[in-house]
Amino acid sequence: MGNKQTIFTQAQLDAYQDCTFFTRKEILRLFDRYRDLAPQLVPLDYTGKPAVTLPYELIGSMPELKDNPFRQRIAEVFSENGDGNMTLDDFLDMFSVLSEMAPRDLKAYYAFKIYDFNNDDYICKSDLEKTVNKLTRNELTAEEVNLVCDKVIYEADVDNDGKLSLEDFQHMIIRAPDFLSTFHIRI
Amino acid sequence: MSYHYNEAFENPDYHFSETLEIDRKRSSQKNLFSHQSPYNSSLHVSSGEHGGRGQNYPLAVRMASMRHGSEYSEDLPTVYGLSRSPHGNSMDNLSFEPEPELALSPPSTSHLLHRPDTRRISTGSEEEKLVGNLASMSTSERIKAIQKMPENMKKKREIRNKVLKEITEKSRRGRAQLSRCTQCLQGPALLFRRFGNSLAEYFHALRLWHRTLKIIGAEFGTSVLSYFIFLKWLLTFNLFSFLINFSFITIPQFFAAEPNNVSFTGLELFTGAGYFQQTVLYYGFYTNATISKIKNGPSYNMQLAYIFTVGMYFAICFLILLLSMAKSFCRNFINPQTYSGNASRLLCTWDFNITNEKAVKLKQKNLRTQIKEDLMEVNREVLNLSARERLVRIVIHLVSWAASLGTAVAACAGVYFLSINNAKLFVNWHKNDLESQAATLVLPIVTSLLNTFVPLFYSWLGHLERFQTPGYRIYVTITRNIILKISIVGILCYYWLNIVAASQSQCWETLVGQDIYRLVLVDFIFCLLGSFFGEFLRRIIGTAVCASWGPPEFDIGRNVLELIYAQTLTWIGILFSPLLPGIQMISFSIVFYVKKVSLMMNCQPPRKAWRTAQMTTSFMFLLFFPSFVGVLSVIAVTVWRLKPSEECGPFRGLSSMYAAVSNWIKILEGYTASKWVVWIYSNLITSELFFFILSVLVLIITYLYWQIIEGRKTMARLLRKQIINEGKDKMFLLEKLRALQRAKQTVRAWRGQGQQSPYSAGSSRGTGFPQARSSGTGAAEALALALRAREAARWEDEDDDKDF
Repeated sequence: MGNKQTIFTQAQLDAYQDCTFFTRKEILRLFDRYRDLAPQLVPLDYTGKPAVTLPYELIGSMPELKDNPFRQRIAEVFSENGDGNMTLDDFLDMFSVLSEMAPRDLKAYYAFKIYDFNNDDYICKSDLEKTVNKLTRNELTAEEVNLVCDKVIYEADVDNDGKLSLEDFQHMIIRAPDFLSTFHIRI
Repeated sequence: MSYHYNEAFENPDYHFSETLEIDRKRSSQKNLFSHQSPYNSSLHVSSGEHGGRGQNYPLAVRMASMRHGSEYSEDLPTVYGLSRSPHGNSMDNLSFEPEPELALSPPSTSHLLHRPDTRRISTGSEEEKLVGNLASMSTSERIKAIQKMPENMKKKREIRNKVLKEITEKSRRGRAQLSRCTQCLQGPALLFRRFGNSLAEYFHALRLWHRTLKIIGAEFGTSVLSYFIFLKWLLTFNLFSFLINFSFITIPQFFAAEPNNVSFTGLELFTGAGYFQQTVLYYGFYTNATISKIKNGPSYNMQLAYIFTVGMYFAICFLILLLSMAKSFCRNFINPQTYSGNASRLLCTWDFNITNEKAVKLKQKNLRTQIKEDLMEVNREVLNLSARERLVRIVIHLVSWAASLGTAVAACAGVYFLSINNAKLFVNWHKNDLESQAATLVLPIVTSLLNTFVPLFYSWLGHLERFQTPGYRIYVTITRNIILKISIVGILCYYWLNIVAASQSQCWETLVGQDIYRLVLVDFIFCLLGSFFGEFLRRIIGTAVCASWGPPEFDIGRNVLELIYAQTLTWIGILFSPLLPGIQMISFSIVFYVKKVSLMMNCQPPRKAWRTAQMTTSFMFLLFFPSFVGVLSVIAVTVWRLKPSEECGPFRGLSSMYAAVSNWIKILEGYTASKWVVWIYSNLITSELFFFILSVLVLIITYLYWQIIEGRKTMARLLRKQIINEGKDKMFLLEKLRALQRAKQTVRAWRGQGQQSPYSAGSSRGTGFPQARSSGTGAAEALALALRAREAARWEDEDDDKDF
């Protein structure tokens, strides 16, 4: 295959291919998508490893993400310092995890982090309340939200500490086989 | 399976109370210590996947004995202390201990690599260990392991570079002989991998309809998308079949083609007879000769080619279906014993595919409604029905089943009588006028009408009955549809194999091929019409005339069953009409676009939940079990039992199609060079002993795996109980220690404030104790407090001792 592109070195492309689930063509295509968000910020030559970060507003305006109620959390989870601004590495990482080739455990891990709003490695009741509100557009009453969260914790919390740990979450995921196909963004 | 476990267990220093580590990596406000440790140790008891197994049991025994007493001896911190990181200074994310699939995953030598699935690497020597492990794996395994790591890209790249450096160092470092061999293998291996990668890329680049699927998924979600993905998958079967048949059977036939002197009228497109009869479309046209273009040159035996091509195609299809089914089942299987709560699905079912604003709003509204209904438990039918009501229900169910089965039987009888009529038409074969040709279309049209309207009747029946859950109604309706379709196909096969084949007509295989062609074509036309009437008109009615109905929803079950029916017909027809898959390919492509346009224009996103994963697996199973296996039996009967027609086709004059193979083997016996083929044939393929041994082996292996599964199920159940018990133990402990702390606090306050507060000493001695512990929430915080209090108590005792 001819190395006709000049954006990355072959070593960089090999590294990306080894670290994500994408093929070479898909990586280049994703780079084009990344660049389209801000052509003046993103250079065409990544061989020098430039440190370019796109702000969250641009990422959140992508058609694949703009209507997703969790887009802010997704960007925060995958960005390097948790503020939603993503480098190309973070961008590739995000879509690699959300692609259909990622295994269930990896997706469960990141889904857990997305739903963990306060980043304490547990999904506590306040996290759940925020999730429910995002899922229903804030249109349930506070009491209903409370009931729902209590129900979820009651059903899923195996070790009885009042919040969901990663294992509880994974245990729940095993019982929802649709998760693999719904936690998936096609790009 | 955990790095921590290995080291912590083997190091006796860690069996003390100070080893309790409470550390957080990121935010310092919450302090929760990893409470997985007791589970880990008990999990490791059962997995036995690494050394130290013998040591695990005493621990489990100790824990079991501790559970029942309220005596919590000093041994207790041992259990918690096992979670301690061997590198105590770092603030680790200890909460991501190994995965719950521990009990289910088979033991493997690279067990240590299962950790990276759900665990972040946080310390230096752990990383070195990981790098060492990765370096010792094969390339593809290594790449897979790196891809699976839950780290960000920078970290993964670092690790990858370290691993590559390690590999090159290893190969330099004193393994000269081995490295030479591996190096000379490495060159071609690298080339091969690059080639494989580029092949995979080309396939990926094909990405048929990727954009369309994305748009459909964006607006309608994963459930409707599954229909289109299934359609695309079936298309690949037809493409594959068409390619093989065309290259191996049709192209050679072109060299030995006889001229076609029948004129072409437009009606042939519908009836498949007339002009088409003398073309490569049908079995009858193929020659039975051995084709050779050049005199005494390489020859091509058409008989063997025909039978081997069809056989090979079905064998490959069988394998592909079996593997897909197994993979799908693996991914989507839920153990029915584990109770799945409805509320928990909240976290797992948000469809990230949906990217259309309207669709997102609709989905949120549906979720809202679902939650409200769940909370009010409206869906739950009142279960305390009186005996009379229950009897009435059962009677209604029985009546509906009787009605549906009766309809199916009536439909089959109708098809049977029509087909007898159809056979009479063939007797008057020479009458080639328009009327008799059109009359051949009656059977397909009636069959398609039955296939369209009887399912509607079944849905109506389903609405009449009261089922416990809506999901149950879907299952029952789909089952009835399946029974109907299987019976119709069964009757048709019976008709073809028993009546047409035994009739004295000139070329019965071509007749069967024509019948199937007509059926496929009419089915396709009805599918398009169904889209028009079912969805377009229904939308007009639903929005303009009767607004309460609303636009229709896309009926996934019915559409998928139609696809399976069409594919069954195609598979049956491959033997009699080798190019039929090509026609079906075209028809599937057209159906794809028509359905997509109709969906976008007419339908609304689904309101009720549709268990995509389970239904996809069931449909794949349906495709395999009644459909493909049925086809295989029909083909088997045709090849082994039926006498091919005398005057046409590649097997003319033989006693059965299979006789071509046995004749060939007899010829081969004459040549010494091919004795091994004859040996394989007589000892493996035709010998019953071989198949008997094979079946016994398969049964034994199945039984073994079944026992393993049962054992693991039991283990998983026990472990779950243990987890719950540990949780209760923890609660109990907390209460006790909280009480103790309170008591000590009051005693201390009473004893005076002059002494140096052991609390501050204790806090400097401990590692990473929480600063903000004012919030009362969190059992673990209280436990931390409690253990600190315990330490304080111990200091105090020492002081007391010193005092004395």
